[in-house]
Amino acid sequence: MKLILITICFATLTLTAISFANADIRAPKPTTPTQGKVVLHTGLEIAPDLKAYEARLQIPQSELQNLRAALDGIDSNRTFAASIAHSSSRTVIAGVLLFLSVSFASVWLARSGKHPVPSSRGKKFMVIGLVLVAVIGAATIITRGNAGPPGYYRWKNLPKSLSEGRSTVGGLDIEIVPDDPNSSKNMRLIIPLRKEGNGAEE
Amino acid sequence: MQEVSDLIFVRRTKPDALRPSGFHTFLVVLICWTALSASLSVWIPLQFSIVTVFLLAGPHNWFELRYFLTRLPVRFGKSRPFFLSAFTGLGILTITYVSLPFLYRSVILSDEQWTNVLAVWNSLLLFWIGLLIWLRWRQKKKDLGLAVPVLLGIGALNWLQPDGFSLGLVYLHPLVALWFLDLHLRRTRPSLVKAYRGCLMALPLVLGLMILQTATTQPLNDNNGLFWRISQHSGAQLLPQVSSHLLVTIHVFLEMLHYAVWILALPLLAPIVNSANIERDRLSRLWKIPVARHPRGFPRLVFGMLSIGALLVIGLWVGFTYDYSTARDIYFTLAIAHVLAEAPFLLRML
Repeated sequence: MKLILITICFATLTLTAISFANADIRAPKPTTPTQGKVVLHTGLEIAPDLKAYEARLQIPQSELQNLRAALDGIDSNRTFAASIAHSSSRTVIAGVLLFLSVSFASVWLARSGKHPVPSSRGKKFMVIGLVLVAVIGAATIITRGNAGPPGYYRWKNLPKSLSEGRSTVGGLDIEIVPDDPNSSKNMRLIIPLRKEGNGAEE
Repeated sequence: MQEVSDLIFVRRTKPDALRPSGFHTFLVVLICWTALSASLSVWIPLQFSIVTVFLLAGPHNWFELRYFLTRLPVRFGKSRPFFLSAFTGLGILTITYVSLPFLYRSVILSDEQWTNVLAVWNSLLLFWIGLLIWLRWRQKKKDLGLAVPVLLGIGALNWLQPDGFSLGLVYLHPLVALWFLDLHLRRTRPSLVKAYRGCLMALPLVLGLMILQTATTQPLNDNNGLFWRISQHSGAQLLPQVSSHLLVTIHVFLEMLHYAVWILALPLLAPIVNSANIERDRLSRLWKIPVARHPRGFPRLVFGMLSIGALLVIGLWVGFTYDYSTARDIYFTLAIAHVLAEAPFLLRML
């Protein structure tokens, strides 16, 4: 039971660390005070309607609730990566503790090698646990490696679809931008369209 | 010599061989309780949460206190450093936790500073658990093994996301009761252990079904102040992308399992200790608490504590009736004491 528990704890810790590990992510760009802030990622469908007289923005009730929740927590409920980026002291402490954790675990593993090994049943559980961790870890990496095409890929057929009267579905970031007295107060929908060949935005 | 006799006094009962009818009753009760709790949690999570906390929160704390008293030795003996550290840490951590809301109101702290305060408290908790593990393992002459790296790893996660650590406590604490029951069955009813662990294996399946059922549901209507509190307690603010219906459902279900262990399973199963032939009076015989029944025990103190506990339970019911929301807030703040108290007694049983 204890061995299973240790294996589960170790597996949970490793998997959590895998999901949080973004060590190769580049440092965030310095933000200017006028820059907007993405509060929610959702989906958008642009559908032409030949009978409609006015453009309509239809938001599902659940998405509205999510948006409201995201707006309510705009300051206190930052994303995990954002909270790390904004708190260097906590990140340093976490890093030191993680370093100590890995060091102690390594010492324990090295020392346990000198003593009699656990029972065959225990070894079996440990092997199964480690294989599971490795498989799930590999799956995580593969999943992240095949995260799908970039967002603009889904929007590239928008003009053609609109001209043919078909709808197009793609991802959407909802961004809150500060009021600008020099521009209109309209909502603005920015669609990422790339020219074929040079990849420049239209 | 007397101390030796004190230690012998608290000895384990012989494991009982359970009759087939008892075995089946145990299984049927376990499955029915789980099924009923899961169904009601999915169907009416907020209402179910209100009713269960009202009815069972106080009594489960009382039963937990009684159980811990039965696990307390008459004399600490070689366990003195362990118990002293346990009770000192329990007191300090409870007082500091209860003072956090007052600190929040009296001192203006930024969100970042407030998060750091939370991380410090969580770190103290982890340090205390680490100390208890070290003392217990030293007493049993066991190697610390992976305890230190695991605690350090959890500490690192805590500093990355202190709110997440606290939310983890909310969800993991009910599961500790299942661990207590497992240890208790191993000592007193070994014949039930296999069936119990089989049921435990089915728990992820039940949780998976509940998640499938509620993951795509609309968020709960929490415009009511009380409903908002319940959703927040389940982590709705910390996990805005997850349906609050799912969060409250899972939390209420786990709490129901927790209550079932403390109120039904542990009191109804065989007592963990047998106090030989020494009986002080009818009342102490009835409660089967060694620390009260022993000639050198403290019956008045024990029954005083249990009586005060009973009065507090009644007071809690009155408070819930008078102002449910406020009483709930106060209860869940003070209830950290029983969450913490489980750690040393669990370690003693390992």
